Amino acid sequence: MSSQVRNEILSKIKSAQRNDPLPRPQLPFLSERALDREQMLERFTAELTSQTGTVYRAKDRKDAERVLSEIAAAEGFKQVIAVGKNLQGIDIKSFGNSNGITVRTLADLKDREALRKAAFAADAGITSADFAIAETGTLGIIFSKDQPRLASIAPPVHIAIVSIEKLYPVYEDAVKQVFGNVNEIPSQFAFITGPSATADIQAISFKGMHGPTKVIVIFIMGQ
Amino acid sequence: MHNRVDKFKETARAEMKNELSQAFLLMLSLGAPIMRQIGMSSFPDPAAAEAYGRAIRTESIERLPELLEEFKKNAQAKGAKVIWARDSAEAKASVLDIAKKRGINYITKGKSMVTEEIGLNEHLISNGVDVFETDLGEVITQMLSRAPFHIVGPALNVPPEEISAVFLKRGVIKQPTVNPVELGKAVREYMREKFRYLDMGIVGVNMAVAETGTIINVENEGNIRMNKSSPRTLVAIMSIEKVVPTMADALHMVRILSRNCTGQKLTGYVSMDTGPKKSDEMDGPEELFIIIVDNGRSEIYRDIKVREILKCIRCGACLNACPIYAKIGGYPYGFSYSGPMGQILNPMLLGIEHTSDLFRACTLCGACKKICPAGIDHPSIILEYRARQIKDRKHQTLSARFENNLATCSSLAMSSSMLWNLAVKTVRPLFNSLAEDGYIRDMPFGAKGWFSCRNLRAMPDKTFHEIWKKLNLPNPDDVRKKETL
Ligand code: SF4
Repeated sequence: MSSQVRNEILSKIKSAQRNDPLPRPQLPFLSERALDREQMLERFTAELTSQTGTVYRAKDRKDAERVLSEIAAAEGFKQVIAVGKNLQGIDIKSFGNSNGITVRTLADLKDREALRKAAFAADAGITSADFAIAETGTLGIIFSKDQPRLASIAPPVHIAIVSIEKLYPVYEDAVKQVFGNVNEIPSQFAFITGPSATADIQAISFKGMHGPTKVIVIFIMGQ
Repeated sequence: MHNRVDKFKETARAEMKNELSQAFLLMLSLGAPIMRQIGMSSFPDPAAAEAYGRAIRTESIERLPELLEEFKKNAQAKGAKVIWARDSAEAKASVLDIAKKRGINYITKGKSMVTEEIGLNEHLISNGVDVFETDLGEVITQMLSRAPFHIVGPALNVPPEEISAVFLKRGVIKQPTVNPVELGKAVREYMREKFRYLDMGIVGVNMAVAETGTIINVENEGNIRMNKSSPRTLVAIMSIEKVVPTMADALHMVRILSRNCTGQKLTGYVSMDTGPKKSDEMDGPEELFIIIVDNGRSEIYRDIKVREILKCIRCGACLNACPIYAKIGGYPYGFSYSGPMGQILNPMLLGIEHTSDLFRACTLCGACKKICPAGIDHPSIILEYRARQIKDRKHQTLSARFENNLATCSSLAMSSSMLWNLAVKTVRPLFNSLAEDGYIRDMPFGAKGWFSCRNLRAMPDKTFHEIWKKLNLPNPDDVRKKETL
């Protein structure tokens, strides 16, 4: 049935007159490609900050745990969900214990229902981002068994931990890696730029529509 | 969607008297183009970026048949279920069937123009499946049963008092408030419950990438990501023209779309889905249905003079640039698509004979064409519709016939200078006898509509030629000859 409909639609457009499109003009140049690491960091920070996001530089894993504790204390987190393959090596459970926060990781969640419950109840979602893009202060996240989707969209605060090695100038740098091998394309890849937002009533804009109200990025500068 | 295109003039008149709409439109038409300009100027070479985007859209449409097949093949290979629908009835039936078979009570929806076009919500609701729009603007228009005012901000003009009243009635808020942020946050809380227990979500598609079988959504609110994350079943609905060749093309178009839509360099979220979730993933849809809807597009495609309509990426920039839209807003267009984009698309979807007010409400100023990131030439399409309507004897109105004859007469007169001068001499005194303070505000025998919104200047007593002769100046040709000598 559907294949018949498909053939009908396709044959209608296939039998239409064909015009050969003109050759493409030259691919526009992206000035971000010329940025060095420090400039990328500056650009990333400026862009994300303009979206009300916050950027931290942590010297190493230990330092990242310290930054996390500071944020947790300031925000008053009671429970968080933490996902992402080994979270750049951060010992998230000990972070929870020493700060009196209930931390749920994937090991604590047996199925979709448990995940939904935890993600919607959490004060923050801590994730490990796969890419950071200087162009617009954007995070790139590959969703997988280690990185469920809800952890970065359901809680009101999203904290992404990123290795500085994963900071790139433009979107293309991430997309080439993620989509380059057809057999390894993830079910979802997303770019996230700042908190969720809207301006749908009277053009008054505010952050925290359906997704997070705050986005915090912690770069791990060394090992 | 129930269309009210036949009420164009009435609605336009009412909107022009509506002070709120007018204040809002003024702000929009002044502010939005500036935001867009700022966005575009963040490209190192804005003109080159625009030209490249236009080339992508042209190529995507010219290669539509093969790109659609490639997209379908790759999406299926990744496990998506692709369903084709010839028209709105088939598309609606497929969605209802998916919901019924899974015993779904309610669905949440991301913003999607094509679902509005086909009237999906009404169909699902009348068949016992509740639908909740989740984009803030759409939540408001759905609760008020109102048409979108603008494709990007469907409820931008609705006063907070009205929103507060309908939210109270629907239990979204307990206490009245006119604070936009409080109203928005109330919807956040209201929808979280829905997302939390959701079994089926529906989203539109901004781009479908042929090379990988990926569907891309751009948004700021996060409602689309919620719809793509929480439920087991996800339905993505797209019209056939959404395909682009490659991921690289999609990225360029996302840059272009964001800037033209809201002036942002990138929207808050860009989610790219290739097939349903993998078996070891904890969330994301177990089943991903992609419904590819024709609903008149293949006819547009075959109509070579208007095919370029399909290049549109629904950015809304032409609405903000259009001097007509700036006066009347989105309601008069009476259908999902408003502004210049609606003026070129609706006649093909609803019939030229039913949409004459739409393609006549245009000054042919070309602001839309100039701004359009897809490179659509709206004015020439609008002229094409006018010509088709005039040629269509069956639906020709009396005034169209009159206009036709008038044009034939004047083209005859203009073909000879002697005839023309004679005509001017005869017509001038007649014509000027109607003038008052140098303006003609009405004329006997019809043309009422024409004079309802503009005046004609009276003709001067002498033509330029007559004045020139009187001046008795030397012939410039003779002067030049003398100089060269
Ligand atoms: S016609 Fe052009 S400017 Fe208007 S919405 Fe479509 S792409 Fe944007």
